[in-house]
Amino acid sequence: MLDIKKIRGDFPILNKKILNNKDLIYLDTAASAQKPKVVIDEINSFYSNNYANVSRGVHTLSVESTFKYEDARKKVQKFINADSEREIIFTKSATESINLIANSFASKYINEGDEIILTVMEHHSNIIPWFLIRDKYKCKILFANIDSTGNIDQKHFESLISEKTKLVSITHLSNVFGTIVNQEIINMCNNAGIPILLDGCQSASHIPIDVKTLGCDYFVFSGHKLYAPTGVGVFYGKENLIEELPPYQGGGGMIADVSIDGATFTDLPAKFEAGTPPLVEAYGLGVAIDYVNELGMSEISEHEFRLTNYALDKMQDLDFVDIHGANENKHSIISFNIKNVHSHEVSSFLDVEGIAIRAGHHCCQPLMKHLSLNSTARLSFGMYNTEDEVDIFINALKKCRDFFTK
Amino acid sequence: MNDLIKELYQEIILDHGQSPRNFGECDPHNKSADGHNPLCGDNLKLTFYINNEDVIEDIKFTGEGCAISLASASLMTEKLKGKKIDIAEEIFSDFTNLVSGSSEDLKVLNEEDSLYALKGVGGFPMRVKCATMAWHAFKSALKS
Repeated sequence: MLDIKKIRGDFPILNKKILNNKDLIYLDTAASAQKPKVVIDEINSFYSNNYANVSRGVHTLSVESTFKYEDARKKVQKFINADSEREIIFTKSATESINLIANSFASKYINEGDEIILTVMEHHSNIIPWFLIRDKYKCKILFANIDSTGNIDQKHFESLISEKTKLVSITHLSNVFGTIVNQEIINMCNNAGIPILLDGCQSASHIPIDVKTLGCDYFVFSGHKLYAPTGVGVFYGKENLIEELPPYQGGGGMIADVSIDGATFTDLPAKFEAGTPPLVEAYGLGVAIDYVNELGMSEISEHEFRLTNYALDKMQDLDFVDIHGANENKHSIISFNIKNVHSHEVSSFLDVEGIAIRAGHHCCQPLMKHLSLNSTARLSFGMYNTEDEVDIFINALKKCRDFFTK
Repeated sequence: MNDLIKELYQEIILDHGQSPRNFGECDPHNKSADGHNPLCGDNLKLTFYINNEDVIEDIKFTGEGCAISLASASLMTEKLKGKKIDIAEEIFSDFTNLVSGSSEDLKVLNEEDSLYALKGVGGFPMRVKCATMAWHAFKSALKS
C-alpha cells in the first residue's frame, strides 16, 4: 500500500489554497501531473551545478550534462522495457513524437491510396499529423468506431484491415473514457504484419508499460503527465524499424559528416534528435521515473484503479450525472456530464470549491461529434489523490446541481 | 454558496443561459458570421439586418454553449437591436473591456446595463472567451 500522506508531502503545490481559501483538490492529472519536490529541486541543481550543452564539448560541464542526459535515456528504456537505449528518442512532446513517426514513416512507406487506421476516440495529436500526411501523400485515413462502452469496436476495426493498411495508430488508454485498448487489437495488427503505434500519453503514468509484452512497434508518451517537467516527450521505435527510417528534422547533432555537397547522418538515437535537445527536461523525466519506481508503478496503478472505482460507485448513485462509457475497464479517468448543465459551469463551480477538473472537448472533437456531445467534464487521478477528495468532489457535484437546476 | 460563483452566475445570466432571447435566424439578413471557441467546441451563428440608415434592425443567433456564452449572446442581441453601427461598435469595445476586468473607461455602458451582469467573468480569466465569442462574431460580420 502506498503511504499517500507521505506522497502528498512530496508535492509542494498541494499546499496551495484556491480562490476562497479552499484546499486544492487536483483532479486534472490527465491534462498534466503535478511535480514532486525532488524533480523541481533536481532541475534547479542541474542548472546550478552541471549545465552545459550535450554531446558537443569536451569540457567537464559538457561531459557531466551528457552523462546525465544519456542516463535519463537508460531510465526511460528500463521504464518501458525496451531492448536498447538506441530505441529511445527524446522529443519536445508526445505530439512531436507522433509528428516524427508520421513524417519519417510516410516519406519512406506511404504512397497514394495507402491506408492508415486510427479510431474516432483519438486525441487531436494522433489525428492531425496523419491528416497532414494524407494531404501530402494522397493516402486515406480510416477511423475505427467505438462501441457504447468506450472501447474499440473490434469487428469494425478488423473490417478496416486490408493489404492497403500501412500503419495503425491508436490510443493505449483513452483520455476521455479511461479505457485501455484490448490486447486483441494489437495482436490483430501483429498477425497481419501491420506496424502499430500506441499513444501512451495516459497509460504511461497509470499502468506499468512493457513494450515487448504489448507487442507494439512504436510507443509515444510525454514527460509532463508522468510527474516530469514540460518540454520533453519520448518516441520509442523497434530498432530494426527505425534504423531504416530517414531523419525527421535536420540540424546539429544528427550528422555523421557534412560538406557543401550534402550530409550523411549519424546512428540511432541521435539521428532523430536534431538540435540541442530538452536535456534538463529529459534529466527531470529520469528523476521522475526514479521517484515513480521507488513507490512502485504497480502500487500507483492499483491505488488509482481503486480510486476510480470508488468514484464510479458514488457517481452512479447520482441520478443527475451521466458517466460516459461503461464503468468496467476504466482507469484513472472518468468523463461525465451533469444533466442540463454545461461542463464549463461544472468546472467553474468546482473551481471555487478548490477542485480542479477539465471541461471541454479534451482535444477529441471527432469523438464528441460521434457521441453528439458538445463537451464533457472529466476528473482524472494521480498518485496523490485520496478517497476523502472524492467525497468532497461528490458533495460539490450535488451543490452544483442544486445551484444550476434548482 | 460563495460570492464568486454568485457574482459569475447572476440571476439574469442563468435566465438568459437557459432561455436565450432572439434565438434563431434573421430573415432577411445581410450580415452573418460564425463564432467558435476552439478550446471547448462551443459555437454560434449570428445573423442580422442593417437597414439603409445603418441601424441594426434585427439580430438573432443560434448555437450551443455554456450559460456564459449563451447569456452573453442573448444579452448582446437585446442590446444591439435598434442601435446604429457606430454606437454598436462602441458597445463592443466597452463590453470587451468590461469582461477583461477594465471597467474604468467605459464610454457608453454603465452599471444600469444588463450587460454589466457579465462583469463577474473578469474573475475567471478562462471564461472571458465564453463571454466574448458572440461579440467577436458580431465584429467579424461587420467587416464581412
